[in-house]
Parts: sequence; structure tokens; C-alpha cells
Amino acid sequence: MAPELLLDSNIRLWVVLPIVFITFLVGVIRHYVSILLQSDKKLTLEQVSDSQVLIRSRILRENGKYIPKQSFLMRKFYFNNQEDGFLKNTKRKVVPPSPMTDPSMLTDMMKGNVTNVLPMILIGGWINWTFSGFVTTKVPFPLTLRFKPMLQQGIELLSLDASWVSSASWYFLNVFGLRSMYSLILGQDNGADQSRIMQEQMSGAAIAMPADTNKAFKAEWEALELTDHQWALEGVEEELMSRELDLDGMFSKELPTGIF
Amino acid sequence: VNVLIIVFTEMRDKLRKWREDNHRNSEQIVDVGEELINEHASKLGDDIWIIYEQVMIAALDCSRDDLAWTCLQELKKQFPGSQRVKRLAGMRLEALEKYEDASKQYDSILQDDPTNTAARKRKISILKAQGKSAEAIRELNEYLEQFVGDQEAWHELSELYINEHDYGKAAFCLEELMMTNPHNHLYCEQYAEVKYTQGGLENLELSRKYFAQALKLNNGNMRALFGLYMSASHIAASPKVNATVKKANVKYAAWATNQINRAYQVTKTNQLPVEELLLRSS
Repeated sequence: MAPELLLDSNIRLWVVLPIVFITFLVGVIRHYVSILLQSDKKLTLEQVSDSQVLIRSRILRENGKYIPKQSFLMRKFYFNNQEDGFLKNTKRKVVPPSPMTDPSMLTDMMKGNVTNVLPMILIGGWINWTFSGFVTTKVPFPLTLRFKPMLQQGIELLSLDASWVSSASWYFLNVFGLRSMYSLILGQDNGADQSRIMQEQMSGAAIAMPADTNKAFKAEWEALELTDHQWALEGVEEELMSRELDLDGMFSKELPTGIF
Repeated sequence: VNVLIIVFTEMRDKLRKWREDNHRNSEQIVDVGEELINEHASKLGDDIWIIYEQVMIAALDCSRDDLAWTCLQELKKQFPGSQRVKRLAGMRLEALEKYEDASKQYDSILQDDPTNTAARKRKISILKAQGKSAEAIRELNEYLEQFVGDQEAWHELSELYINEHDYGKAAFCLEELMMTNPHNHLYCEQYAEVKYTQGGLENLELSRKYFAQALKLNNGNMRALFGLYMSASHIAASPKVNATVKKANVKYAAWATNQINRAYQVTKTNQLPVEELLLRSS
């Protein structure tokens, strides 16, 4: 239904490709800058210790069936005992690090903003200003009219299909689209990965949550209470002797010695 | 020239394989590594630093303090203030038996970073090297209270306890290891051996079960097979068991004997006297 517009091929050469390059290079630069500005996350001894205790309790629940019943009960008692069980009685001082009061979190946020949001805004604005007044590309799916003011920033045509977008929207498309390229070139977990960082910010104090060890302890305590001991070695001899041992290759070859 | 390049890459790859597999073949590492460092340093690029570390530890094992010193100097120049390098310096002091200085070195690492496990473990090995096993056990216990997940440490502690003949506690450590590595037949077998040494009917039964488990996990574990045979025969020979248990254990022992026979059939005939001796002693 929409009229097929034929775009000047110059647009392709001088607008589409430069925006791709610019986005990509800015991403790479962001990655290296974020490495330079990285601050060391120092864990306290208590945090390390607690995380390991939680792992041990979980292993006890999952693999407790490989040790004798007595040993399992001994450990369960150690963790869950009414009077002095570790999980029951250890209370950690939980200070939820709110972004405003905790200085290191504040600087981290600032750095995050500076490296990611600021360049995006600046460059987005610059592209909008430079490459304005014409249509850049067409998105392959039809869009409603409501998208027009958003995606067609500088083009004042009322009758133009909303699928035709301006260069600013092409820029934003690139920012998200080049994510997989970054993984290919910079390796996983790179600093140029915009959307991942925004996801982290959205899960907000998710990084601060491990500080809530009390809740973690309580959850482990409940789970451990419910666990029973099903000894995996009940019928092990019968299982073993149901068939002959596989003794192929034993004593048949010399052990290798020497350097090469 | 081509031949030299091939030899160089082979040497570097060998070193990397030994590094990744955690081999302790120190003499070989010193031979290969020394040549690599002296002749081909420029071609190694950034690999050279980790090779320096690997060769240094091997040199300490072989009492090559000259080589260790050069490696340490290079690492210190490149990474001043690094805790990893400080730990290597401490290890060199340990090798020279300057335990006081080594201990101070590790203490300074721990001051900067209390969570540094490597330094704490080195301090414990100093105690072990000095023969202070009771203190070493105590320190290791404290370490494990903080770092419950350190499997290397649990294994070391079990070894220390075995040396002190404290088999109950050694069994506890091995249980931790069995839980974290349920498919490792060696831990099952070691646990079974400790239980067997503890003695007593219940422990013998447990040991037989764990020998069987080790065999189930690895059919080729000869020690476990012999252990199964010995524990089953001991239970069968004990006066306290009832008839059914005795019968079952005799059956287990017979099965084990069969398997042992089968295993040794492929070897040469001069193995036979040993085998007969073992079977006759039951």
C-alpha cells in the first residue's frame, strides 16, 4: 500500500555505513575505557566464607546420600540444630547498600553512566543533527502511526509511512544490533555491551542482594530440614556383582616415560 | 631453522600441557623451561611470565636456586607489588629453609588481602615442613572453618590426620571430599581404607561397601578389588556375625577372588607366586 520510495544510493554510502562504523568504534572505545576505569571489587572474608558455607550446605543436600547415614545426620545437626546450628543462629549484619549513602556504589554508578549513557546521548544527538532531514532506511515490518514522531525525528511528512526511519533510529538499531559483533571481537563480558549493562541496572540492587545472607541462610535451613538420607550404597555389592568387571587393557601396556 | 622452530613450539606446548594438568615433573620442567627462557625468550611473548612462574616452582623443587632467583627477578621487574609474585618470593625462602622470613612475607600478603588463600596455605605448609604437625592441623582446621569449600585443604587435612593415626577425623575429611566429588573412585577407596584401618564390625561393613562403590565407579581399581576381598573375608571370619551375613560375605570374597584371577591372567607367569601367596593368607 505504501509507495515504494527509491532512496538515493548516496544515502547508503554516506549515511548508513558511516553510522555503523561510528557505532562500532565508539563501542570498542567504550570497552577499553571501561577496563581502565574498573574498580576492584573487594570481598570481605566473611562474605567469602558465607558463600562457601552455603555451597557446602547445598552439596550436603544434593550428595549427602553418598556418605554414611551417621555422618549425614551429624552434619545436618551441625547446620540445623535448635540451639547452636550454624544456619539457624548466625545472624549477619545486613547493611543494604543504597546507592545514595554508599560512596563506592555511587562512584560505580557515576562511572557506569559516564561510560555508557553519556556517549549514547551525545552521539545520538550529533547524528540527529548531522544526518537530519532525510529518510535513512526502512524497517522490514509495518509500524503504526504512533511511532512516527519517535522514529522520524526531523522529517516533517505526514503521509510518510512509519516504516521509513531517520538516521537517529538507525543509530539506535545499531547500538543494540552490534552486541553480537562485540562478543565476537572483544570476547564475552565486554564493556561495550550496552543492553547487558542496562539489564544490570534494571535488576538494580541485585548485586547488593548477596549481602542478604540471612535470607539465604534461612532458605538453606528450610531446605535442609526437608532433606532425608537415602543411602546410595544400599545395594552396591549386588549391583557390582551382577556382572563381570571390565578389565580390558589392564596390565597390557608399558607406562610412558621420558620427555618427548 | 625450521627444525628449531618446530622444537620451540613443541617445548612451549609441552610446558602448557604440564601446567594445565598440574604435573609436578620438576626436573623435566626445569630442563625444557630453562632452554626455552635462555634461547627463545623473544618468541614467547606474554607467555613468558607464566612460564617464569612454572619454571621457578620447578627450580625450587630441584634446588636450583640460581634459576629460581633469575625467574623471580624478572617477575618482580614486570609485576612490582603483585601478591602472586610475593607468594613466589615466600616459596623461595621456604625452599632455602628460612621459615621465619617466609612467614613474615606471607603475613604481609595477608595484611593487604585477608582473603588470600594461597598465603595462608603456604604458612600451613611451613608448619608441616618444620614437623609441627599438631600446629599444622590446628591451623588447617581454622583455615577450613573460613574456607569450607577448599577441597585441596580437606585432602591435606585427611593426610595429616592419617599420619597422626586419628582415623575418625580423617574419615570426616574424606566424607567432605566424597560429597563434593561423588564420582571420584579414589576418594571412595581412600575412605574405605581408613574405615578398614579403624576396624570393628561396623567399620568393616562400611569399608566393604565403599570398596564396592569404588569398583563400581572404576572397574580397574585393583586396590579396591583387593580391599573388597580383604574386608569381606574379615567379616566372614569374624565370630560375631550371624549365618546369613557370613554366607553373603563369603560369596563376595569368592567373587572378588574370581575377578582378581581374571585380571592377572593376562600378565606373565612370574606374577603367579605373589597371587597364590595372597590367596593363601586368607
